Amino acid sequence: MIGTFVEAVPSLPPRRAEAAARPRAVVRLARAAPPYLYLAPGLVLLVVWTYWPLAQTFFLSFHSWNLVPSTPMTQVGTDNYERLLTTSALGSSTVRTFQVIAGLLPFTLLIPLGVGLLTRGRGTVHRGLVFAPMLVAPVAGATVWMFLLDPDAGLVNTVLGTDVNWLNGTGTALWAIVLITGWHLAGFAVLVVAAGLAGIDPEYTAAARVDGATSSQITRWITLPLLSPTLWFLVLMTVLLGAQWTFPLIDTLTQGGPAGSSTTVYYLLWEYGFRSNDAGLAAAAGVLFFAGFMLVAVPLARLADRAAVREEGP
Amino acid sequence: MSVGQVAFTAPSGDAALLRRMSTIRLEGLGRRFGAAVAVDDVWLDVADGEFLVLLGPSGCGKSTLLRMIAGLLEPSAGRILLDGADITALPPQHRNLAMVFQSYALYPHLSVSRNIGFPLRARRRSKPEITAKVGEVAALLGLTDLLDRKPRQLSGGQRQRVALGRALVRDPGAFLMDEPLSNLDAALRATTRAELVELHRRLNATVVYVTHDQVEAMTMASRIVLLNEGRVEQAGPPGEVYDAPATVFAARFLGSPAMNLVDAAVTRDGRAHGPGIDLPLGLPDEAAFPERPVTLGVRPERLSIVPEDGAGLRGVVTAVENLGGEEVAHCLVGSSQVAVRGPRPLGARPGDRIGLTAAPAHLHLFDPVSGRRLTWQPAATTAPKE
Ligand SMILES: Nc1ncnc2c1ncn2[C@@H]1O[C@H](COP(=O)(O)OP(=O)(O)OP(=O)(O)O)[C@@H](O)[C@H]1O
Ligand SMILES: [Mg+2]
Repeated sequence: MIGTFVEAVPSLPPRRAEAAARPRAVVRLARAAPPYLYLAPGLVLLVVWTYWPLAQTFFLSFHSWNLVPSTPMTQVGTDNYERLLTTSALGSSTVRTFQVIAGLLPFTLLIPLGVGLLTRGRGTVHRGLVFAPMLVAPVAGATVWMFLLDPDAGLVNTVLGTDVNWLNGTGTALWAIVLITGWHLAGFAVLVVAAGLAGIDPEYTAAARVDGATSSQITRWITLPLLSPTLWFLVLMTVLLGAQWTFPLIDTLTQGGPAGSSTTVYYLLWEYGFRSNDAGLAAAAGVLFFAGFMLVAVPLARLADRAAVREEGP
Repeated sequence: MSVGQVAFTAPSGDAALLRRMSTIRLEGLGRRFGAAVAVDDVWLDVADGEFLVLLGPSGCGKSTLLRMIAGLLEPSAGRILLDGADITALPPQHRNLAMVFQSYALYPHLSVSRNIGFPLRARRRSKPEITAKVGEVAALLGLTDLLDRKPRQLSGGQRQRVALGRALVRDPGAFLMDEPLSNLDAALRATTRAELVELHRRLNATVVYVTHDQVEAMTMASRIVLLNEGRVEQAGPPGEVYDAPATVFAARFLGSPAMNLVDAAVTRDGRAHGPGIDLPLGLPDEAAFPERPVTLGVRPERLSIVPEDGAGLRGVVTAVENLGGEEVAHCLVGSSQVAVRGPRPLGARPGDRIGLTAAPAHLHLFDPVSGRRLTWQPAATTAPKE
């Protein structure tokens, strides 16, 4: 008799397509809802405090209104925009705004980077000291600086041996504001840089040292590239928010003067709205500034995003 | 390695002749972190071309020792000499040692070719020279197609090769490797192990290799240095460390399953006695031996199963493990666990009474207190010495 080979292991039964029972609509809804419910409070706040005011501003910019609730708004078409574009106030305050941003960058980027690199790996005490100005309320700080910058008895003039009227000179007022704002922000920026540096794995530096790189090569080739997402964050923060941070100081120290020489766009908006009570004009300026700012901020944010993705570790 | 002849050292000429000699000597090297002693008084000579493996359990100070050699950690005691020159205070940049990190530490923002070429770039070599050298190393390691990728786009094994390439691209005095295979899966680890051995044979370079894996140590080392709590427990060729462990720690650390260690006593007749134990020790004839307690050691694969009557070790089988080709039977002898390893089937089943024996040459005696190996010294004064 001759036998036959049979498979020792029976072959697997063919896969059966699963009959996916579709749950009822109500059940599906209940399952899908939770994520949206979690998001809801945040979304509501965003709409109420950001998007709704934005839409209202846009609406207001085509009207004339003096902010008194009993007075009706009158529709004026593009009048507000025409008035803005024919006066030089918006243009010059925009230029000043960018001057402020450029003037703040050393305080929010270069100085913190230098301090961060020099104090890398040191204790937290003197970092705390650097951070301290951030904790001083802007208005309180402004008052102290007012004394320090006093043309007659101020410490700054005494030390420098000058008699400059810092806050009342058209050439110095804006830069005095920038300096004080920078003093406020530098501590925070140092902390951000320190956190960024602490987030870089020390093994990279160790490897580079064994590979024979000098410390300046390590800084240029390893540390700075790996720190670039942090540095981009600081640039973005400064560009997007820097000029806003000067507002309380301008309001306390110079009120935009002398002769408008420290009036940034933010202060201009405020003046139009709450000094001249011309809500329509302020809204139109706001809309224009918003549009112009988007043109600067969006490409910058794109660049920063790309840098962050590129430098991301494995 | 798949690719054949590539000269690693000087671009021209006979590599073997031009290769620098490099010996490393550690003199009483120590390092403490606060009150904790990580490395304690290590004396060590690494010969030129040697593949030295620092072996030990986690936390025994292997990485600390290696980092001190690399210059990344300052020793708190002792000296380091490279080719006879004291480099203890030299920063890592000037030591000309190459290191492969356990985490590989590949620069995440640089491509594979830039990672490999980094040491040359730091030395301000010309672009064409760097490109040529990187190409050479990449071909040797099978990385040619990956040169433009970033580290995060590589698999673990490929990253390991890049880290190796970065060490190979220049001609370092010695290679320091900190568990370079620990992130790889078992199969990749086995092939890479063989590749590293082959590479070492070809380059004939000095390597100090850290691992906690005894298989890596046994297969790759020309000499094993076994560390325990910062101290050198034993140093010697793999065969010697395995066959004649200097201490109970060394006996336990190498081998799988670990060496059987049971408490016993040497009696006047020169045999080891204990509960379930009565083994001849093969000592030369003497009128009477000094009695003393010992720890008796025997490797599982050196035990054989014999009829229970008159066997040297008698016990009960508690479990049998099937390893595929072999079996391990765990037995209870007296109150000690004893493992027997042999070809499958061993012919033992749980619950069986079992008799075991071993040739006297395969028995190890240790002092039960100090844990150090005991040998018989037939001298005029017949006292056993350590
Ligand atoms: N920076 C440090 N500060 C304090 N203690 C440290 C430091 N680095 C290492 N140690 C201690 O020194 C001892 C040795 O550490 P080491 O990293 O050399 O161990 P290892 O043998 O490399 O271990 P593993 O196999 O887990 O990598 C450990 O007890 C560890 O806790
Ligand atoms: Mg380690």
